[in-house]
Amino acid sequence: MNQPSAIQPGSSLARYVWKLLRLRWVIYFSGFLRAKPARKVGYVVIWLLLLGLFVGAFVLSWLLLRALQSPQVAVYVDLRSLRDGLPVLALGGAFVGILLTSFGVLLQALYLSGDIDFLLAAPVPIRAVFIAKLVQAILPNLGLISLLGLPLLFGLGAASGYNVLYYPLLVLILIALALAAAGLAALLVMGVVRLFPARRVAEVLGFFGGILSLICSQAGQWGRFVDISESQALQATQTLARFNTPWLPLAWPGRGLVALGTGQWGTGLLLTGLTLVLSGGAFALALTTAERLYYTGWARLQVGTQKKRPARVSRPAAAEHRSWPVILAERLLPAPVRGIVVKDLLVLRRDLRNLSQLISALILAFIYVLAIGRGTDVPGGQGEMPAIFMQSLHYLKTYSALMLWIFMSWSLISRLALMGFSQEGKQYWLLKSAPLSTGKLLLAKYLVAYLPTLGLSGLFLLVISVLHGNPGDMLLYGLPVIALSSAGTTGINLAFGVLGAKLDWDDPRRMVSGNSGCLGALASLVYLTFSLGLFFGPPLGLTLLKQSALLGQALGLILGGVLGVACALIPPWLVRQRVSHIGEA
Amino acid sequence: MADAIPLIETQMLSKKFGDKTAVNNVTFEVHGGEVFGFLGPNGAGKSTTIKMIVGLLQPTSGMVRVAGYDVQAQPLQAKAASGYVPDEPNLYLKLSGRELLRFVGDLYELDRQQAARRIEELLRLFDLAAAGDDTIDSYSHGMRQKISVAAALMHDPKVLVLDEPTVGLDPKSARLIKDILRQMADRGAAVFLSTHILEIAERMCDRIGIINRGELVAVGTMDELRALGTGKGETSLEDIFLQLTGGAEYAEIAAVLA
Repeated sequence: MNQPSAIQPGSSLARYVWKLLRLRWVIYFSGFLRAKPARKVGYVVIWLLLLGLFVGAFVLSWLLLRALQSPQVAVYVDLRSLRDGLPVLALGGAFVGILLTSFGVLLQALYLSGDIDFLLAAPVPIRAVFIAKLVQAILPNLGLISLLGLPLLFGLGAASGYNVLYYPLLVLILIALALAAAGLAALLVMGVVRLFPARRVAEVLGFFGGILSLICSQAGQWGRFVDISESQALQATQTLARFNTPWLPLAWPGRGLVALGTGQWGTGLLLTGLTLVLSGGAFALALTTAERLYYTGWARLQVGTQKKRPARVSRPAAAEHRSWPVILAERLLPAPVRGIVVKDLLVLRRDLRNLSQLISALILAFIYVLAIGRGTDVPGGQGEMPAIFMQSLHYLKTYSALMLWIFMSWSLISRLALMGFSQEGKQYWLLKSAPLSTGKLLLAKYLVAYLPTLGLSGLFLLVISVLHGNPGDMLLYGLPVIALSSAGTTGINLAFGVLGAKLDWDDPRRMVSGNSGCLGALASLVYLTFSLGLFFGPPLGLTLLKQSALLGQALGLILGGVLGVACALIPPWLVRQRVSHIGEA
Repeated sequence: MADAIPLIETQMLSKKFGDKTAVNNVTFEVHGGEVFGFLGPNGAGKSTTIKMIVGLLQPTSGMVRVAGYDVQAQPLQAKAASGYVPDEPNLYLKLSGRELLRFVGDLYELDRQQAARRIEELLRLFDLAAAGDDTIDSYSHGMRQKISVAAALMHDPKVLVLDEPTVGLDPKSARLIKDILRQMADRGAAVFLSTHILEIAERMCDRIGIINRGELVAVGTMDELRALGTGKGETSLEDIFLQLTGGAEYAEIAAVLA
């Protein structure tokens, strides 16, 4: 019998943390070494660009802050309070930012990454695994915050002539704050995972994260920043200055650094020391708690905590009530096509990760419906314009609303059609081993993308026509336009979805390869531009030429319809041979 | 009793991935009423062969017929006649077991009422009736494996192809699967299964094929395989397998390490 190896678990925490972190570095670096030359060049270019951004931001901050401190500017505005509050704001913001953004990445790193079973089964102290995972999780966020915040604060130090101790302490405090924030976020993650399954928490988080980011982006677009008055700007700077109070612990690191920089050694050492002690305490608390919470949480995850629901009593098939769309679908569609459509819509609805991507189109639609609803139907002015222009403007407004919706439906179709095949993932074997022709499979995936969009479009048109008070224009002309233009968009995106189908994904956000995703979006946008020109050009042109708008609409429907039908049929037909090869490595 | 017409037939079947030959000129037949065991070391080409039989992979050369239909030329007819259970039960996790079976029923164009009856039968048979309305993401590995087998049986296939069907199953479920496979063969179906558990192959299979490094090195009944031995007294399937696949020398290494 051989002697057991001389591993002493827990003998040196730092040694194990170093081993685990070095392993990540080796994986990253060997990935770089094995990458294709073009990718290697890409990596180097990105790093150089980031370095350039860092240096550029530093120089810009330095020059700008020096200019703001000049006596000429000081005559108009006293920016000293803002300057002194800048480190407070940046470091406080970094702490809160890392605290908020770390939850999701720590959940993934601590509970859902593939190597946890291996690491926790190995004779490695659980604290070492925890620290290594924590550091890996916060590095991207810390890097991003450092890239944006450090040049600004270094620039402030240079412009204000702070002493040399300011610079290394700034980096040290930023790291301490990041570790403390991540430690607290980890405690929160460990607590939540004891109550809810980690995978479900990740799904819910992804769903709300997607919605929140969309709302933020839209709120930014709708904000009226250009209208900010001088008094509002002054009020904002005063609010920021109020944040810089000695009683707020989040202000201590910034105030301490400024005090050290300006040579107030007593205050500076006290506040930075307090910051380091508190940050270390928070991290130590997370570390000691993790010893118990992390392991038990992980162990609970392995046995599963899902409550058993009482079994539902299934009704016999004959007694099932079927609604008219189901009966219609049964008459019109072959069973395999119907089955795939129902299956895909069920899976899309039940998987929150998918739903968060789809819901963005719906939120955008809701926002723009509100915007259109608030608009006035009659263009401004005193009626001195010729009637023909007024009528053209009326049509232009109607068609603009339709165009807006067509672009909304484009974003929905892009998601559904482009990812139609990739969405099958590792389950694609079920479709591929079934007696299913390529035509039926393409038709099913086409309908999965097209039908929900068509349904939503009908609803949108109904709402808009009520808001506009002209259901004729909107419904009778708008619905065929949207149906035909969306048909083309679906065909193009579906074809690119076939070409870029990727089945080995774990994260739904990585379903489609970048190239086909970009090309699909570009091609369908080019198509849409032409298509809208064909649909709306003739009615607008004929109205301006004092001809019948109805004739123009009919002409538009024929021209745009031909293009739409062609794009609905030809791109999927071109890639039909590729369908039978999907999933073959 | 085996039929004269083979339900699975491969002729000079080959598959290359780039420069690597995964399967090389494999030829065999499986008749109705037979349980055929397909054995081989890891990476020998078992799963690749199986994927070509069920139409998941296109052969580089050679031919596969299932129920008399060329899988390449008449894929729909061949697939309609076969059921497949993969080595990993990758299923739609957000569908319930009942919904998955209903979906499979639609794919194979089963009559709605007939499918509903079949679903209830299979759920009861595999002891999944109580979990039938739970989504598959709440199922254990064994339950997933069972619902995967149930899906393959939905359309009562003439040819059943299973890749490691008993992995992850408890003894009761494993026994149930074995009994079902035997019953299917007795009713005239061809059952083709790959396994690493030689005891299962020895006890269940009427004939066995052994593949090594992409080449079929032996096919036959247990008696025929014994006759292929080197005359050193190999009587168990394990001895024959190790002798044919070059694993016998590892016994000496293991003895040194022990």
